[in-house]
This record gives sequence, structure tokens and C-alpha cells, in this order.
Amino acid sequence: MTSRWWLPRRAVQTGTILLLASPVAGFTFFSGNLASAELAGVRLSDPLACLQAVIGSGVLIPSFLFGALLVTSGYFVFGGRSFCGWVCPVGFLTELGEKFSSKVRRGGRFLPLATGRYILAAVLVTVAATGVPLFEVLSPIGIMGRAIAFASLVPLLVPAAILLVEGVAAPRVWCRSLCPLGAFYAIIARFSPLKVGFHRERCTGCGDCVAVCPVPEVLEPLWDQGACRVCAGECTRCLACLDICPERALSVGFRFKKEPHSVTDVGRPIEKSAP
Amino acid sequence: MGLSRRDFIKACAAAAAFAAAGASVARPEWAEAAEDGITWGKAPCRYCGVGCSVLVGVKGGRIVSTKGDPAGPVNKGLNCIKGYFLSKALYGKDRLTTPLIRKGNRMVEASWDEALDLIAAQYKKAIAEHGPDSVALYGSGQWTIQEGYVASKLMKGGIGTNNLEPNARLCMASAVVAFMNTFGSDEPMGCYDDLDLGDTYVLWGANMAEAHPVLFSRLIDNKLKHPKVKLIDIATRRTRTTKMADEFIAIKPHGDLAALNAIIHVILRDKLYDEAFVAKHVSFKRGKENAPYGLKDKEAFNETPADVKNLSFEEYKALMKPYTPQWAQKVSGIPAAKIEELARVYGDKSRKVNSLWTMGVNQHSRGVWVNNLIYNLHLLTGKICKPGENPLSLTGQPSACGTAREVGTFAHRLPADMVVMNEAHRKKAAGIWGVPAEKIPAKVGLHTVEMFRAIDRGELKCIWIQCTNPFQSLPNLNRVRKAAQSRKAFIVVSDIYPTRSTELADVVLPSASWVEKEGVFGNTERRTQQWFKMVNAPGKSKEDVWQLIEFAKRMGHGALFPYPEKGMHRAIFEEYRKFTLGTGKDLAPYGTYAKVRGLRWPVKANGTETRWRYTEADDEHVAKGEGIKFYKAPNNKVSVWFRPYEPPAEVPDRNYPFWFCTGRLLEHWHTGTMTGRVPELRRAVSQATVELHPEDAKRLGIRNRDQVRITSRRGSIVLTAEIGGRGTPERGSVFTTFFDEKKLVNEICIDAFDPLSKEPDFKKCAVKIQKA
Amino acid sequence: MPKERDDSGISRRRFLKGGALAPLALALATAGGASVYLRPGEAHGFVLRPPGAIAARRFLAACVRCGKCAQACPYHAIRLQDRSVGIGTPYIAARQIPCYLCPDLPCVKACPSGALDPKTTEVEKVRMGTAQIVDREGCLSIRGLRCEVCYRQCPLIDQAITLEPRHNPRTGEHTIMEPVVHREKCVGCGVCENACVLPKPVIVVRETVEVQRDSYDF
Repeated sequence: MTSRWWLPRRAVQTGTILLLASPVAGFTFFSGNLASAELAGVRLSDPLACLQAVIGSGVLIPSFLFGALLVTSGYFVFGGRSFCGWVCPVGFLTELGEKFSSKVRRGGRFLPLATGRYILAAVLVTVAATGVPLFEVLSPIGIMGRAIAFASLVPLLVPAAILLVEGVAAPRVWCRSLCPLGAFYAIIARFSPLKVGFHRERCTGCGDCVAVCPVPEVLEPLWDQGACRVCAGECTRCLACLDICPERALSVGFRFKKEPHSVTDVGRPIEKSAP
Repeated sequence: MGLSRRDFIKACAAAAAFAAAGASVARPEWAEAAEDGITWGKAPCRYCGVGCSVLVGVKGGRIVSTKGDPAGPVNKGLNCIKGYFLSKALYGKDRLTTPLIRKGNRMVEASWDEALDLIAAQYKKAIAEHGPDSVALYGSGQWTIQEGYVASKLMKGGIGTNNLEPNARLCMASAVVAFMNTFGSDEPMGCYDDLDLGDTYVLWGANMAEAHPVLFSRLIDNKLKHPKVKLIDIATRRTRTTKMADEFIAIKPHGDLAALNAIIHVILRDKLYDEAFVAKHVSFKRGKENAPYGLKDKEAFNETPADVKNLSFEEYKALMKPYTPQWAQKVSGIPAAKIEELARVYGDKSRKVNSLWTMGVNQHSRGVWVNNLIYNLHLLTGKICKPGENPLSLTGQPSACGTAREVGTFAHRLPADMVVMNEAHRKKAAGIWGVPAEKIPAKVGLHTVEMFRAIDRGELKCIWIQCTNPFQSLPNLNRVRKAAQSRKAFIVVSDIYPTRSTELADVVLPSASWVEKEGVFGNTERRTQQWFKMVNAPGKSKEDVWQLIEFAKRMGHGALFPYPEKGMHRAIFEEYRKFTLGTGKDLAPYGTYAKVRGLRWPVKANGTETRWRYTEADDEHVAKGEGIKFYKAPNNKVSVWFRPYEPPAEVPDRNYPFWFCTGRLLEHWHTGTMTGRVPELRRAVSQATVELHPEDAKRLGIRNRDQVRITSRRGSIVLTAEIGGRGTPERGSVFTTFFDEKKLVNEICIDAFDPLSKEPDFKKCAVKIQKA
Repeated sequence: MPKERDDSGISRRRFLKGGALAPLALALATAGGASVYLRPGEAHGFVLRPPGAIAARRFLAACVRCGKCAQACPYHAIRLQDRSVGIGTPYIAARQIPCYLCPDLPCVKACPSGALDPKTTEVEKVRMGTAQIVDREGCLSIRGLRCEVCYRQCPLIDQAITLEPRHNPRTGEHTIMEPVVHREKCVGCGVCENACVLPKPVIVVRETVEVQRDSYDF
């Protein structure tokens, strides 16, 4: 298993943008955006968008629901917030934005990760109460998708504002703590089979993984509680920790493969040697 | 662009104030009224042959407004939508403003001297090497009377060739020949007043609602006022006219020739004719038959007096025997019972019956015959030369009548009904022109289709095209465009915008248009309308008269045009007027026209107009007590022609199963060089579409707005389908418009023409239709 | 075991950043967001939606703003709103490009969420809105001119718009051919609004108002 994960991840992120732009170039294999799309004849839908639409309008189209389930199960399999780390253009944008801001600002924790859950709840309550799909209205993901596919540029003020705030005041605050879609995926992916595993015996405690992690909170249980896997749904599966770890103390794999090995062999020594 | 009632009142009040102030106020010659710094003058509309009057508002050397002229007798202040945006037709961004000379594939700006010297040199060279018949001038029914007159004098009296043609050959030639061979004088006996006064109107191949908008509004008003008025639309396509008609009679393309004969058959059989009228006014004739279609180059066909056989009424009746309604039903698609009914419509002595027609009849490979047959209906039933009861051929260009027909800019014509073949006529013309009689050649020049074929054959070396767009409007366009592209002739084009013709020219000359010059137009109802120059033409643009006279000077014919610089238009008109006096086509002095909203000729000695010709009630040339007198016809007897049925030039077959027809629509005019520059009209209708019958479309799997390929033996184009829109052709036919310069639909059209009038048939050829 | 975080101390630079730039950034961000969301979407409160759009309020919820309908439109008539609460939802700016009523309704087929009702199959039954002559004094046809462009361009000519001829008393001898919209047939495609030759169209598509059907029987 190679440790160079950044390349395929950037390829997928760029590929997503190219896919969104492909109808402009006249290709027909893809249409729509991340809220709902048709890829090679398969209808895919954002489960949160679907949820809002169904709650807000009372209209239920089976193929729409099926598309949302398909996407949900996909992200369930890949786990965590892999959507955020691999697909979402806003995630991509804020990551790039972060590169340009000062190194010292990396990995800040402006708001707790759990804030997203409350926002998600607020979104769902709003749509149920007023019929306004709050997140579809505000979503920078939709805005970016439409900016790419339809050159609808004025609303780019919203992602630009996010970049601005993140750049100078609250690093990665949108993706980490505010985005309700991220929160939604974090919830459904808590039990996903694909996990980042921790080989405690190789860890030198250099802390590079924490420094590079966009959501370092998810790594904390590895030391604080001696966990042998990253279980938190907030992990974006960006696998930057795998890339950066000089000792290869982190790996990625499906739970059913890794569990017997890591739980028994790696888990116990941590408890014993815990300070 | 105001046209509110308040505007009218204000304009009228201003006019009155202006008149009261009289000559003491310094003002331009043309100004009739002024308000808010806008000076108003009168002019006829630049577009169609209806001849609406408009008021032109000028401020700061620019037309700022046009509006229908409330004093205009034709339109009483109304316009169609083209007329409403009239001034914008002059102010397109790409007006030509300087002469251009071809250098390889580029057009290079040049001075007038360079351009005119080059043209003169080319013409002189061609004349020296190949004789005067190797050069030509192709003009227009949009030429002013002065332009047409100068052109005719220059070509026929100066250069000595009859190679002078107007584009009216493409629209009115069949009507002209039929007027001449039936009545001995061109142009109608009736006028627009018939639209207000008649009871029954039979439309033969005319979409008046779109092609003559204001006139149609007048006709419908008669219907609204008088419930007994009936409008019968006989056509191959359901149009907006059909929608307002009382009855639509579908007819197969070319079926008119059969249907008309059958109606005459019934009139004769049932003795519906007016015995006394026939005995007094009519002679029966049979012409030359088995005519060709002009598809071969230089295919000559003429109906000389020697070819004409005089018939007795009985002989005529016998000849008409075979044309039974049952036979016509098969050929025309009109049920026999309906034909019988139509005969009774024409034979109904209690109703005033009118026939109206345009291009469906004229652009017809037997167009003259169909014109003749319509006249036959009116002559046999005596329904002619009476107020509210006449046949009326509607024209399409503002001065097809005034210039092309009255001045006579056809290859065989001289002014005022005269022809080059007649020695006396040549002598009279030469006398007025001050040239030796032998200068005017007796040989008829090249008619339009042959003129452009002669370029392809390499026989015509120079052609000057003014005020028209033949490389979009001619039939079988591929042939003539290819000939021009291979530079087989030296081509000069005078126009106001780049067109599909200027792109093929060796020299492009920028012209002045409409009120950028002074001029006179003559409309459908013989109304002669004058206007003054009100604004300057942009850049170096010059009016066509100036271009022709400057060219004439360089050709050594300057002495033919000794007109003063000031009052040139008046002088030209007065010289032309000499031709008309005493001929029954008498025009008024120029000064009169400057004051009035046109007068219908013949203008009487007391300066008033004539509404109905050939009748003592109105025409001065008919003495009291004579009743009706066709004084221009030989022995004062008009001709009823026996015209048999002959098939069309091209008929749909297995490979090309559809009829193809072209025509006009309300929003755009002709090849769209002017209306195409009006953003509002482009917004209204942006492209040509092809109309299909819904069942045909369904069978071919074509849906509304699909792209459809139309292919004939001559060319192929792709158009957007229009199904169930403003027009629906009958099953087996498709229709399109020819205004769209991006779609040269005339590449499809066959260059078959009427053997007598040489007018091409744009209405019928065979095509195949595929979804593109 | 992890290293001490870099941001645990407050440097002068960081203070500046956090203290002065952060409020500025938030203010700019708020202004940016406000300029997108607080600008009015449609002046007269009616947005011409693609064929088959469900009732306005439910439409706003049902539409997931994916733009597939716009991508499916062969005429590029469907655009996406870029402001207000309807941001990202499809609309038709009839004056620019109207709906040409494709018989197979590709926009409806493309819609994943039912915002464009999939039960819409007959284009002539669509009700996007209703055309209305909003300025009778300005309408050239009603003033007696031979315009009637809206009528001749109407895809449902003689059904949705008819011409009602009446005598023109001003000239005494012409006909006023008044275009009359029939709300029971008008689909609201906006072709008339698009075609109107006046600078401000006098025929525009407005919200379809359900007419109360009376049951008086005389």
C-alpha cells in the first residue's frame, strides 16, 4: 500500500470539477451537480438535498429517493466524510485557500465539530416549518457547482466570503463546524466499514499527523482513549496522516479485515502503557 | 415613434399653424409642419406596393420619427409594423458609406472618381470588343421614377442596348403582359376604393393579410361594416388571410389554370355571362400554345400577332367545352360542385365581385394565362370598370408600377405602354430624348433570367445592379452565384447595405435611400406619390440618379442629361411626363405632386385624379354617353383569350415528392436587407422557417422546430420546421420565406419561367424533405 | 506526546490578524452574503418557471437547484436564478429566450425531484403563466397598426391568442385587429413577450390566476 494518497485524492477532486464542467464542453455523460446528477445514465442525489426537498414539498419521486440512497450507501462504504475530503469542491477550495494562508494558522479549532449537527437540525426544522430548504439556498457547494456549470458567478461571493473568514479569522470553520452536509455524512458514516487504523507500536509521537489533519479532534481518541481506529464520523478520509507519518503508524482498511488484528494486538499495549 | 391620437392632433395643429405662417417663414421645401424642433415632411412608405403615406420627422439632420400620415388616403395614419420602424431601416450600423473596389478577395475603399472611371472603362471595353449588348443594367421596382427614367434613357437612348431590366420581372411581369394583351394598356382599371365598395372578393394566390397589411385591414373593414361582404380565399396554403376569409378553397399548385377554365366553362354553359357587354367590348382570341418553360438557355417563345387567331364567341364556347368541372376537379383538387358555385359567384348579377391576386398567379410558369383567365371571368360577366367591381392585381414593390411599368424599364419597354419592337414608339421616344430614332435598338434585350444566364455563358461582360439583391432573389441561385463567383462578368452593385449581392461585386457603390434623396413612386392603384430629400445620405453615399448620370458623362452620353443641379428631379420628371400626356396615362405637373398625397393617373385636365379607368363616370378619355370604352385596346375591344391547361414545369415524383413554395411575411420585406437591420423586426422574426402540413410532418417524424433538410434538383438547405404556425400548406406541399440572407432558399427554386412574361415560377418546384 | 501547538501563544502579528482583520473579514463576508441573498429576485414577484413547475412555494422546496433542466433545454431558455431565496432555481427570461414548448419536454424529464411535475406530458396543458396585454394604450395592434406579431408568433396561434377584428373609427375605413389572449389555452411560454416589438413589451407573461368558475345557470 503506497503512502502517496494525495495524488489520487487531488485527481478525484479535480475530476469532480471537470465532471461538473463537462456539459459546458458539450459532453453528455454527466449532467446536473452535486445536489442531483445523472452520471452515465445513473441518477444520483445528495441525500440531504433529497431530505429537504421531500420534507419541504411533500413530493416524493422514487428514482430521486433511490439516487439518494445510492449516494448514501456509497459514502457509508467509503466512510466518514470522504465526500468532504475527496469530492466536495468547497472542501477543495478551502484546502487550497489554507495553503495560501500562514502556516501557523493550520489546524485551528474555532468552533467545536459538533456545531454542524445543530445546524443540520436547524436546517431540517426550517424546511419542515417553512418549506424553505435553507441549506440548498445557502449551500456554497451548490453555488460552486452552478458557477462551474452555468457561469453563475455573482453567488461566488458566498464561497469567497468563507475563504476570507477562514483565511484571516477562523481556519476551516466552514467545513469543520458549519457545513450541515458534512455533519449529515458524519452521522451516517460513523459505522462505516472503511477506517483509518493506528499501529501504536510504530508511533513515535512526533505529532505530524495531528498537525496535518483538518479535523485533529478525530485523532485524539488514539492517545486519549487508546483507540486503535479512527472511529469519529468527522474523519474526511483525506489520508494526509498516512502520507505524512514517517513510521507508517497509520493505515487504511475495512473494519472486518483489520479489527481482529488491531483490537487485540495494538489495542491492549496502549491501555497498559497509558500515562 | 408616437402615433397616439394626441400626436395626430398636435401634428395637424402644427401643420395648420405652419400653413398660416405661409411663405414668410424660412423653411425647407419639404417641411409641412414643425413642432418641438422636429420638422415633418411627407413621403410614401419605402416598402411594399400598397403605398401608405408617412410623415417623416427630422431633427438635426436625422430622421427621429416616422408615423402614418393621417392625410394619406391609402392608410389614413396607419402603418404595418415594417412601416412603423421605417426610419430604422436607414440607420443600420453597417450602412455602406464609401465606394469599394475589389482587389482579389478584398474590397478596398475608393473615391467616386476611381470607382466610376473603372466602371466606365470596363463598359467601354466590353462595348468596343463585344458590342452594346454585352453590357446591362439591372434595376428595381424600388427605383424612383426619376432613377428608372434616367436608366432607360441611358441604356436605350445612349448606350444603345435594351439590356435593361427591373427586378419587377420577378414579380409583376405576368400581370404586365396580361394587362397589355387584354386591355392594351398596363395597370388596373380599378383602385383601392373597390375594397370599400364591393360585395364579393375572390383571392387567387394572395396572402393579403401579410403581404398587403394595411390594404387588408381596409378590406376587412368593408366586411365588418357590411355583413353581406364575402371573402373567398383560393390558395395552396392556409394563411392569416384564410383565417379572416369566409371560405377557403384549397387548390393544387398549378390547379388555378384548370379551375379558372372550368369556371368559365360553367359561366358559358349556364349563360351566366353578360351578353350585351361581351358583344360590345370583347373580342375572342387564341394564342400560341404548347409553350416551353424556359429551362433551356436562349429558349425563344413569342406570341406575335401572326400567332394569334381571332375566334368568334361560338368558336370560343366550343373550345371551352372540354373544361368541365369534373375534369378540373381532378387537376385542381377543387370539387366540381365548388367550381360550379364559384361560377355562380362570378355570375351573380346582384353582387359586385372583385378578384385580387399577387404572386401565386404572377410567379407561375403560365402566369400570363392565369391573369388572362381571371380577366376573362370579369369580361364575360361584365364585372369590370365599375366602382366596387374590378379585377385588381396587387403589387409588391413601392414603385413596381410607377417605375418598372410606367417608365418601362423592362427589356422590351419604353415609357407609357410603348415597346421597343414598335417603330413608331421608338421614334416617339427618340424624339423626346433628342436622339436619332435608330439609336434605340428594336431587338428586345435580355430578360432577367436570361441576363444572369448570359453571365454564366460568358456573353454578358458587364452588369450594374442598382437597388436590388438578385444574388439572393433569383431562382436557381447556385448557377448565377457560381457564375459571379468565378468572375465571369464585371459586376457593379449599388446598395445601402452589404448584401448577398454586394459580396459578389467587383465594385460596390453606396447609395442614398428613400428620403435621403428626392423621388417619386407609383403604387398598385396608379397613385403617383412624390417626396423631397429631407436628410443627407451618410458618408459619401450618392443617389442612384447621380451615379447613373456621372457614369453617363464618362461614357460620352452626358448630353442626354442636361438637368440643372437644383431642380434636377423636377426636370427629369417633367421630361418623362411628356411621354404620358394624351396617352391615358397622363401625369400631373411635378409641383402638383409636391402638394398632394399622390394622385391616381390619368390626371384630368382640371388636375384631379381618375379612380376608375375606361368608364365615362370617371375617365376623361371616355366621352359622355360612351359608358365603358376600352380606348387603349385595338378597336376598343378587349381580348378574351382562350388559354388551355398545360402542366407545370416540374412535378413532384418519387424522388422529390413535395411541392415547394416561397413567399413573403409581414415582418420582413423581400430579401430583408432593410428590415433585417431593424432590431425589433429581427426580434419578431429572426429566421426563415419551413412550414409543413402536420400530417406530412408526422409521417416524416418531424416535430415543430426540428431542423429539416430541403433538397431539390438544384440545391439543398436546412431550415427550422414550423408546424401549425402562421401558415399551413396543403398536404404534400411545403412553404418558406425568402427574406433570410443566411438561408438562400432560392437555391432550391427552379428557373422555369412563363414563356410570355419571362417571369420565373418561385411557387412550384419538386423537393424532398428529410429531418436533418 | 503531540507537539505543543504553534498557535498556543499570541504573537503581535497574530493579534493584529485576530483583532483587526477578523472583524473586517466577517463584515466583508456578511456584505457578500447579503448582496447575494437580500437582492430581490423578481421585481413583480412572479418568476416564469419551466414547464410543469409545481406551485410556487412547494417548487422552492422541491427544486434541488441541480440545473439539469437548464442543461436539458435545447434553446438555453432556462437559466438559474443567482440571487434571493430562489437562488439556483430555474427560470425563463422570456424577453431573452422564451420556452419553445418542445413536445417531448426534456426539462421535465431531466428534473430528478419532481419540482417539474413528471406527470406533465402534454405541452399544451402546461401552465407556466398567462400572457396578458399590460399596456393597451401602447399596443400597436390595438392602436390600429398592422403589427400582431405576438399573435403570429404564438405557438398556439388562433387558440391562445386570437385576433378580434373591429372597425377603426379613427380612420373610418380600416380594421383594428386586436390580439386577445385566451387564458384557458395560454401556456405562458413567453414567445409573445419575446417577440413584442416595443422596447418594453406590452404583452407579458404573468402568474396564472385561477378564475373562479361560477355555476350560475341562466
